[in-house]
Amino acid sequence: MSAALLQVRDLRVTFSTPDGPLQAVRGVDFDLPAGTVMGVVGESGSGKSVTMLTVLGLTQGAQVSGQALFEGRDLLAMSAAEQRKVRGARIAMVFQDPLSSLHPHYRVGWQIAEMIRAHEPVSRAEARRRAVELLAMVGIPQPQRRIDDYPHQFSGGMRQRVMIAMALALRPRLLIADEPTTALDVTVQSQILDLLRRLQAELGMAVIIVTHDLGVIAEMAHEVLVMYAGQVVERAPRRAIYYRPHHPYTRGLLESLPARTGLPGTLPAPGRAGSAQRQRLRPIAGQPPSLIRVPPGCPFHPRCPFVMDVCRREPPRLRPVDVNGSHESACWLPPEAVGLGAEADARRRAAAGSGRIQPAEAGWGAA
Amino acid sequence: MGSGVTPAGTGPALLRLEEVVKHFPIRRGIVFRREVGRVRAVDGVSLEVHQGETLGLVGETGCGKSTLARCMTRLYDLTSGRVVFDGHDISRLPQRQLRRLRTDLQMIFQDPYSSLNPRRRVGSIIGDPLAIHGVADGAERQRRVQELMVQVGLNPEHYNRFPAEFSGGQRQRIGIARALALHPRLVVCDEPVSALDVSIQAQILNLLADLQERLGLTYVFIAHDLSVVRHVSTRIAVMYLGKIVEVATAGDLFARPRHPYTCALLSAIPVPDPDLADRRSRVLLAGDVPSPVDPPAGCRFHPRCPKARERCRLEEPRLERRNGDPEGHVTACHYPVGPDEDLARAAGARGDGIGDAVGTGGQHGDR
Repeated sequence: MSAALLQVRDLRVTFSTPDGPLQAVRGVDFDLPAGTVMGVVGESGSGKSVTMLTVLGLTQGAQVSGQALFEGRDLLAMSAAEQRKVRGARIAMVFQDPLSSLHPHYRVGWQIAEMIRAHEPVSRAEARRRAVELLAMVGIPQPQRRIDDYPHQFSGGMRQRVMIAMALALRPRLLIADEPTTALDVTVQSQILDLLRRLQAELGMAVIIVTHDLGVIAEMAHEVLVMYAGQVVERAPRRAIYYRPHHPYTRGLLESLPARTGLPGTLPAPGRAGSAQRQRLRPIAGQPPSLIRVPPGCPFHPRCPFVMDVCRREPPRLRPVDVNGSHESACWLPPEAVGLGAEADARRRAAAGSGRIQPAEAGWGAA
Repeated sequence: MGSGVTPAGTGPALLRLEEVVKHFPIRRGIVFRREVGRVRAVDGVSLEVHQGETLGLVGETGCGKSTLARCMTRLYDLTSGRVVFDGHDISRLPQRQLRRLRTDLQMIFQDPYSSLNPRRRVGSIIGDPLAIHGVADGAERQRRVQELMVQVGLNPEHYNRFPAEFSGGQRQRIGIARALALHPRLVVCDEPVSALDVSIQAQILNLLADLQERLGLTYVFIAHDLSVVRHVSTRIAVMYLGKIVEVATAGDLFARPRHPYTCALLSAIPVPDPDLADRRSRVLLAGDVPSPVDPPAGCRFHPRCPKARERCRLEEPRLERRNGDPEGHVTACHYPVGPDEDLARAAGARGDGIGDAVGTGGQHGDR
């Protein structure tokens, strides 16, 4: 097994707030092999973005502990100057909002060239030549001309292409994309995802995609991390997450999606003739927990339909739920309680068993 | 014109739009405000909303769907055209009479953070419509408000709390309670779940469905998330650059989309199903949506359309029933997509790799 490009160990990030310490990330571990695509999915406040920003050394005013080994060196223990050398050159990032990530006052070509020159001793002309090449690579038409445009002269999708061009300027080993298509329309989103997929394959870099959109992850990722309340609750190869989820939170996320079937090329949804037979969605009851007062035991237990007594007392750790250990889940249910649908739920319910007390009051928020 | 749009077997039209146009003038100059152009946000839309149905309205940013929603509810005055609600032309009603209309026609907005006044208590926010219309006062108003709160799944004891004390999903419930206070017949929901996390989104969608059933509501449901629209809608209208390009029942639209734009839109939805995602072929559209200030001549979609021919550049297609479609399925396209046609291949044959494809739309995107 090849050594991981990025190894994160027991990462914890805490912000102090007037209401007390807010534990945004509460012990995250993962390995990212070189050249692979990892999807990180979770809802707002799950800690997915903070985890990545911390790895990049971009969380200010937070208490950080743990390790983030990139190519064998701990990013969290580096000096600011060393971090700057890695960031941009070896690890690049693309954020959600390309307009606020580009400086409105400078031409895009200048911004890309400047970034190259900050890391490599090349002439202005050479940097500019490379900027044109990069813009062409990400599919910007007439790059010779567009290089002297300002960010506001580009549309949202084009700006995101510029951001990707800039991120790839120094051929990074790792690209972190935080909600790269969330601000874009679906047709533009599919262009950008297509571009990312193509460039990832061509350049052989590793990519981490952070998103709340399970559809985006299904198309892009080799491996998926599901985060909840600052922790990784499930880690598995792509197909396992979607077809054999173990953690009740992952199951809940998938089941609350309106579209699992019925898209072009799939079977029509059952009984979907009109609104009369409309299927009800199965949402997760309740609200995500406060990160200032995290529930004891498993953080998901107040919303979990399969809660057992142990869940309220002891926090579960990630442990394998398949034979080769590629699929891990932080849940007290037995390993065989995987899957979606009535049968899998019956297994979960049976496993949750006799010692189980009724699910905690889900509150008024529950539909 | 109406007869072609009404599918057999549905209720009578509660709301009818006839050639609705809404242009926003662009003015220059300080003393003499010359009109230098017009944003043609809605440019001739005829549509019917039937009693008891949910009409979905989809399209990308800037297609005019939100403007159309505000024209329907008369939050905007029309540039031209008519809006007929329950047999009465409401497009020229003066303010005083419009107020009476508000009891029948309500709106739910996207952002549950900015659509609620942060300094007012929830009880008084929800009670506002009752106060304004002089329906109920004092203890009676409080009783009615608390009833509404129960109806939308809020704890009535939270009557005196401020919006900040509620989560995003709960705030959306407050917005819904406010919209329902006067027993409206038609509720226009403008992106009601877009700002919410998946699990919460499902709770709100279920709530809206329950309320529709219980109160016999008619919805116009606007969203950019097509899987959500498909789930809630009886019929769906697809908008592009201020025009309706296709209308069909939800099942029909997803099973047999006829307009190339609809096909592209549907194929761009990221599906949360890895095997399907790998199998599916996409129709990658060229570039971005052109500017509504200066929409393309002929069919507005032609610069991005993989099937565009000479006629599309010259002649605007009518929104009408095309060969072999069921009644009520109307498409504005000269060359509608056939049942076995592979549009993805057509796009490839036209030589639309990302690079040159973008060129066509880029010119428009630059404005």
